[in-house]
Amino acid sequence: MTFPANLVTNSAEQTEALGATLAEAIAADSSLPRFIALYGDLGVGKTAFVRGFTSLFSPNARVKSPTFALVNEYKGEKISVFHFDMYRINDEDELYSIGFYDYLDRNGVCLTEWSENITFALPDRHIAVNIEKCPEEHPDRRTITITLLQPEAQYRARKD
Amino acid sequence: MKILAVDSSALVASAALCEDGKLLAEYTLNNKNTHSETLLPMIESLLSFFSLDVKDIDLFAVSSGPGSFTGVRIGAATVKGLAFASGKACVGVSTLEALAYNLRFHRGLICPVMNARRSQVYTALFRSDGETLTRLMPDSAMAISELDAILSEYGEEVTLVGDGYDVTESGFEKTKLRYLPERVRHQSAFSVAEVALKEYREEKTCTDAELCVDYLRPSQAERERAEREKQENKN
Repeated sequence: MTFPANLVTNSAEQTEALGATLAEAIAADSSLPRFIALYGDLGVGKTAFVRGFTSLFSPNARVKSPTFALVNEYKGEKISVFHFDMYRINDEDELYSIGFYDYLDRNGVCLTEWSENITFALPDRHIAVNIEKCPEEHPDRRTITITLLQPEAQYRARKD
Repeated sequence: MKILAVDSSALVASAALCEDGKLLAEYTLNNKNTHSETLLPMIESLLSFFSLDVKDIDLFAVSSGPGSFTGVRIGAATVKGLAFASGKACVGVSTLEALAYNLRFHRGLICPVMNARRSQVYTALFRSDGETLTRLMPDSAMAISELDAILSEYGEEVTLVGDGYDVTESGFEKTKLRYLPERVRHQSAFSVAEVALKEYREEKTCTDAELCVDYLRPSQAERERAEREKQENKN
């Protein structure tokens, strides 16, 4: 997978498969950030994406939206997946008190739904996944943009 | 008197068994696991080496913050449980003071720093005469640049200690720093026990129910700034 990636999926299954593709890219390249910020409206397929992503690291996990629990942990053999729902997070105190910052230090990949709510806390280097619906004649179609975000200086150093 | 001390306030989990100020055993783990899964097995193994039972411990000590939210809670909950079950006293000590105790032998200014994220640190300041520590600044949360300004006012070398060592060191511009080897940079439960012994002599121990934690969150002003940035990003 190269970044930025602009893709179109036509079903939840395809969105899920794309999540798995990103997981493979992250598993294969340890220099990629292990933090993925998801953006997109209700019902757009964020959880489907996470389900596909998680299938690589934790094949038996039952991936559901962590609406109530705020974070779901899917244990992997080597790498675990931490799945956040930031919909109800309003400020830094709330983020701190769900242990968000502690998860960043653990050996796992963090995925955050409703990342719009925690832009102030996103790591400098992370992967952003934008999922958008298409015009009404294609109710199941999604355009998905996957971007690698990193500070300019680091980006140059890596290219050199 | 036997003290069992734990520190799970940051990346490492540490447990120590001490008797009358002497270290019997210390177990420190840095494996990125959750402390909830490692701390009790560590304590159990420490006790078993000395054929001791929880009931043989006279005082339970914990670094009760600042630190990671879950880490501080795990340490405090563990000590509360052990103290409750055995009916013995416990004591919560400042994570930052315990860190400074790592360098108690080291004359000069000692500044414990813990990474509070987003260019902030939990910090305090102590001076050691090579034997005892004198506190110069209360436990605080502040920007690294602000700490740099405060420390540089002293016009002397400062030794940083704690898991904020790297982020703080690279964020400093004015303060003269003295290098500290990795070996003494991290939380050590023996240091927690040493502070606890001092507190015990000053009769500052408490019951399990009285034990409190102190998260020492960044100031309201900092939080409001974050809120503003969030709003700006939304617009």
